[in-house]
Amino acid sequence: MSWIVEPRDPRTQSEGVVAGYAHTARRWPSQPLVARPHGAGELSGPAQLERRLPPSPADLAGRGANRALGQLIHLRARVVDEDGAPVPGALVEIWHCNSAGRYLHPNDSSDSPPDPNFRGNARLVAGDSGLVELRTIKPAAYAVPDTDGWWRPPHIHFSVWGRVWLSRLVTQMFFPGDPLNESDAILNAVRDPEARARCIARFVPTVPGPENALVYEYQLVVRGRKAAPRMP
Amino acid sequence: MTRLTPTAEMTLGPFFPREFAQGANELFSGKDSIQITGRVTELDGKPLDNVVIEIWQADAQGRYDNPQFFGWGRAATDANGVYTFRTLKPGSVEGRSPHINFLVLYSGLMRQLQTTMFFERVADPVLDLVKNRERLVAKREGTVYRFDLRLRGDGETPFFDD
Repeated sequence: MSWIVEPRDPRTQSEGVVAGYAHTARRWPSQPLVARPHGAGELSGPAQLERRLPPSPADLAGRGANRALGQLIHLRARVVDEDGAPVPGALVEIWHCNSAGRYLHPNDSSDSPPDPNFRGNARLVAGDSGLVELRTIKPAAYAVPDTDGWWRPPHIHFSVWGRVWLSRLVTQMFFPGDPLNESDAILNAVRDPEARARCIARFVPTVPGPENALVYEYQLVVRGRKAAPRMP
Repeated sequence: MTRLTPTAEMTLGPFFPREFAQGANELFSGKDSIQITGRVTELDGKPLDNVVIEIWQADAQGRYDNPQFFGWGRAATDANGVYTFRTLKPGSVEGRSPHINFLVLYSGLMRQLQTTMFFERVADPVLDLVKNRERLVAKREGTVYRFDLRLRGDGETPFFDD
């Protein structure tokens, strides 16, 4: 199978330098990015990446006496390509902070308490329908240090591989209805309102959800689609 | 016909799990292995900690689909901004000079940055498109290739728009 990756509408993507997010002006290149033709290296990619990056359990919340604090949620994320075709076998990495706004990471200097029962991250392999499912707790909002009152809304980080090298996607998922979504510098770096809305999960009002968790669905669209067959 | 818009990329943030970044930077360790190392810096030259770098390369014969050689790796920089890979030198592919694709993910990078490391300053259809092309050519010291990445400012690394 051969794939093509076409240019994106920049309005549907984050800007490089973002007002209110000081690091971006120190790290995003000042020179224009160089357009290049795509060859074998860009349009191929690692198959069965789990050979190098082993998967982990699909549960960050734990059970019984070892259950993490916070609202249980059940996340269903589907990986599809630009044709809308599922990407079976896609590797998906997920991480987020605990229900007090603290990450399981040595660089998090927040004074929010750690939660010894919260596992912090998972690496999953998508099934035949491109779906990964994760049992976890809803992350909290937290204040970003050294800023003028910037609070991150609750969000979940995703790192995803698609069909080819250029399909790589790192993004964040937000929760519907959170007032902090309106002012978050990262979410609002996407100018197109529809593209921004697609970064917000859909709440699924099931009665009851799996193990009484609130269910959220999310779609991750990775770059690339099937190349048209060559004319004979 | 369905045509979906790719999801917007967003920054990796400062808290990418350490355990995700570890254990994937050795692609090859046999005889003829090479080391690729470099320092990642921001504006004013400050080194950056926990930058995630991923690479994708062909095998020594220029094949991307060799079941015996898995050409993908990931490393993270340490507190001095230094990353390291151990791998083999790729062959040439489709008229391209030997090269390794690099992808950079980090807090403050709203989208992934794509660049390419070359082993020698030779004619190449992609390298020839770049101003300051010597910045994409690794500096060789024996079996060690040094490839620094300057995200912004003096000596800025050229990055690609894909």
